[in-house]
Amino acid sequence: MKRKTARNWALVLCLIMLVALVPGCNDTKAPAPAAETIKLGFLGAKTVNNANYGIPGEKGMKMAIEEVNAKGGVLGKKLEGIYEDNKGDSREIANIATKYATVDKVSAMIGDPATGLTKIAADIAQKNQVVIFSAGATGTGVVEIGDFVFRNTLLDKFAAPSVVDWMINTKGWKNIAIITSMNNGYSTALTPVFKTAIEEKGGKIVLEESINDKETDFTAQVTKLKQANPQVLVFTGYYTEAALIMLEAQKQGLDIVMVGGDGLYGEDLKKLGGTAVEEKVIFYAGFSADQPSPETDAFIKAYRAKYNEDPDMFSAQYYDAVMIIAKAMEAANSSDPKVFKTELAKLKDYPGVSGNTTFLPDREPLKSPVFLLTVKGDKFPALLEKVPTSAPQQ
Amino acid sequence: MLWQQLLNGLTLGSTYALIALGYTMVYGIVQLINFAHGEIYMVGAFVGLFLVITWDVNLGIAMVGAMAVCMVLGVLVERIAYRPLRGKSSRLSPLISALGASIFLSTLMALIAGVNTRRYPAVVDLSSYSLGPIQVSSMQVVILLVSAGLMIGLQFLVRRTRIGKAMRACSQDLDAAALMGINVNRVISYTFAIGSALAAAGGVMVGVYYNAVWPYMGTMAGLKAFAAAVLGGIGSIPGAMLGGLTLGIMEIMGVAYISSSFKDAIAFGILILVLILRPQGILGEKKNKKV
Amino acid sequence: MRQLEQWITGIIDPYYLRIIILLGINIIMAMGLNITTGVTGQLSMGHAGFMSLGAYTSAIVTLKLGAPFWAALLAGAAVAAFFGFIIGLPALRLEGDYLAIVTIGFAEIVRVFFLNFEPGGKAVGLSGIPQQTSFTLVMITTIVVIFFTQRLLSSRIGKAMYAIRENEIAAEACGINTTHLKVLSFVLGAFLGGLGGALYAHYMYYISPQDFDFMRSIEILNMVVLGGLGSIPGAILGATILTILPEMLRVVAEYRMLFYGALLVILMIFRPNGLLGNIRLYDLLKPKREREVKPCQS
Repeated sequence: MKRKTARNWALVLCLIMLVALVPGCNDTKAPAPAAETIKLGFLGAKTVNNANYGIPGEKGMKMAIEEVNAKGGVLGKKLEGIYEDNKGDSREIANIATKYATVDKVSAMIGDPATGLTKIAADIAQKNQVVIFSAGATGTGVVEIGDFVFRNTLLDKFAAPSVVDWMINTKGWKNIAIITSMNNGYSTALTPVFKTAIEEKGGKIVLEESINDKETDFTAQVTKLKQANPQVLVFTGYYTEAALIMLEAQKQGLDIVMVGGDGLYGEDLKKLGGTAVEEKVIFYAGFSADQPSPETDAFIKAYRAKYNEDPDMFSAQYYDAVMIIAKAMEAANSSDPKVFKTELAKLKDYPGVSGNTTFLPDREPLKSPVFLLTVKGDKFPALLEKVPTSAPQQ
Repeated sequence: MLWQQLLNGLTLGSTYALIALGYTMVYGIVQLINFAHGEIYMVGAFVGLFLVITWDVNLGIAMVGAMAVCMVLGVLVERIAYRPLRGKSSRLSPLISALGASIFLSTLMALIAGVNTRRYPAVVDLSSYSLGPIQVSSMQVVILLVSAGLMIGLQFLVRRTRIGKAMRACSQDLDAAALMGINVNRVISYTFAIGSALAAAGGVMVGVYYNAVWPYMGTMAGLKAFAAAVLGGIGSIPGAMLGGLTLGIMEIMGVAYISSSFKDAIAFGILILVLILRPQGILGEKKNKKV
Repeated sequence: MRQLEQWITGIIDPYYLRIIILLGINIIMAMGLNITTGVTGQLSMGHAGFMSLGAYTSAIVTLKLGAPFWAALLAGAAVAAFFGFIIGLPALRLEGDYLAIVTIGFAEIVRVFFLNFEPGGKAVGLSGIPQQTSFTLVMITTIVVIFFTQRLLSSRIGKAMYAIRENEIAAEACGINTTHLKVLSFVLGAFLGGLGGALYAHYMYYISPQDFDFMRSIEILNMVVLGGLGSIPGAILGATILTILPEMLRVVAEYRMLFYGALLVILMIFRPNGLLGNIRLYDLLKPKREREVKPCQS
């Protein structure tokens, strides 16, 4: 009896392994149907970490694909999106990127919003010669991975210095406190950019504190902040924590302005922060739903009609990514990544819904101008000012 | 600043203590780390939020509602995920079904409510008063009072009532208690119900005070509360309260006077030191090992 | 070896190849934790901390010092083993859940350390780690690890470890040096955890502190418990299920984690002692022998 149980379970073990392997063989050996659609893979989280960036991204991407297909598709073929959920996890995104490249045989993958995860996927995409187009990775060392790697975001190294300049020279805020979110790669990468800029423009950092994403208790940090009494607080993380910090400041009776990067661009900033963030949080972005360009305006209206909510930066950037890729495929007259990637690299002054985009010779995106945004009344975001990007020599 | 930080620490600590109580009660009776407890706390926060948004009820009713729902949920989790394993398995096996239950609950909540962080509409006035050198917000007072009240109530229940007596008997020896005619299954259900209700109260208050409710909030809170329960001596009810408060104050003081970027490392470092010096936790009883 | 690798990559689809490689790495780590928790009964809930130390050490050794791959692997495993020794010491005084919280605390401290560690890229993580972990290497390492664990567990030391799990005082009374063996079980577990981490880092191209959080520790622990504490085929089966299940559940899209959670509960209800809880490797190999190890009941 006992022996039988042992054997049965050994059998189960073998079966499970077989079941896992069988589809692998099928997929590789079955004759692939003639590519009637051009496939695009979505990279982003729909659950657990960073899902609040992935979900709007997915919506933007779906909408773009529908629009392209409604106009007849690309090169006479329909676009087809594949939407896997990577949970903001390294192993998941690596598995998914490999699946896209080798099982689904996508022409391009779009995403991820996070720099670190994008790097994993980019390495896989480069090795498999598939275009990857990140709609959110702002950190360094992304496009350096190879010539199949692109991104369409406002780069902090161009944007932050102009904002610091505005802070110190226009507003006269010289005593500055910085809060970094330690477990957020975006934040730890952005903090040094701000610090260098502040030192260069003659500001003074009076307090440096840190928090962690997904924490909710910031009482100790705010109490310290109150003690240090800076004129402005630079927060380099994301909008959820920004709103919570401002709420805590309001509770402790601290009246302070927060300045941050495009990580603060999310409607939740206003929903969560309420009166605590109104006209007190200022952030930069390459996209503004307030006073938009004609393209952006049309996008916002269509998005509202479809999803009954406002688009954010990620939905706009995923949308643009699809459109830019479709354009490059048309121009190259091919959906083969090896062919259309050269057209993609030539992109210049593309009037996207997330701002004007040009790819520099090193494939880095240049978006201009920088919008300084805030929360004002019912409006989110409200345009405060447009400042020029401190662009490198072209 | 010291007093202000101490108050911050006390507030944070009392929320840890409320969750830790559930851990410690369940552990005291069935020697089980209920890893789904953090998710019960999360569900409590959401139920309260739902009540406030839909029926515009006040904080008290929201809290009672959340406690009632979580009582049922806690008992259900015990019925489905733990009871079939009891007595048949190693002590670690329920860990897996606990994890399964916790993944299930948080994913379900994410599907229902979305993954964004939500906040309570202003159910209580969140303004603060100056009290000498410190700022006290009314919600802080509520948290401290309600936590203290619930903990005193729990002590009363455990020390003075029939079911409390049964719980204490079960925690000493489950089999002997059964022989004495105690319905062990019922006592365990009660324990889960009470622990879950306390977690739900904690969830609602945290949701209101820190303005943040989201489907995955249970994991970290559960971990911290477990740490608090162990620090105080797992199985001991006053220990869980003391452990929660100590952990909260340690965390805040770590940020205030050492470094905010090493916050969790400082808290856990002190915790490890305490446990090395006092292996049974602060108020834990040292059990003689028998062969 | 290179030809074998080419042959394998030729016939298996890269997506499935990747999952098999990750499975191999998971088996190695589960083997390690199985020695500490499954066999010796020392509850460790911070195995991701060892994995993290192994991954970071090997990655830094490769990237900054340009050391060869085998040296990086050894360095990663050795550093992890050293910390296993450090963490094994409090294990002498603590037991059960108190030990569990110390190991959790250790893993959290390691995570926070790497979040503040400049050469490790802080939260951004380390990228550009050369992908030197190959299918053949992982398979060979896995088989070697399984073989040695099997030898260890059927040796005097292994049996003494089982004895500690079943009853520490009785074991001591029988003349077993429990102090040495408890620390040894931590060192061995940490060594394999570090080795797995090093292989992982050199396969994934990129690592960050968030890859090694509390949930990862729990995941490895679950492989051991799900398979059956102290059982080698159990740990293999547990690692296999927990690696493959999430991939197979991709078909149910957003309900994936819902199914995953429910399946864990159901599996445990039907096999409360883990899937292969009562079975040791040689029970499978030599069917006539009576099983000797009872499930851990304490």
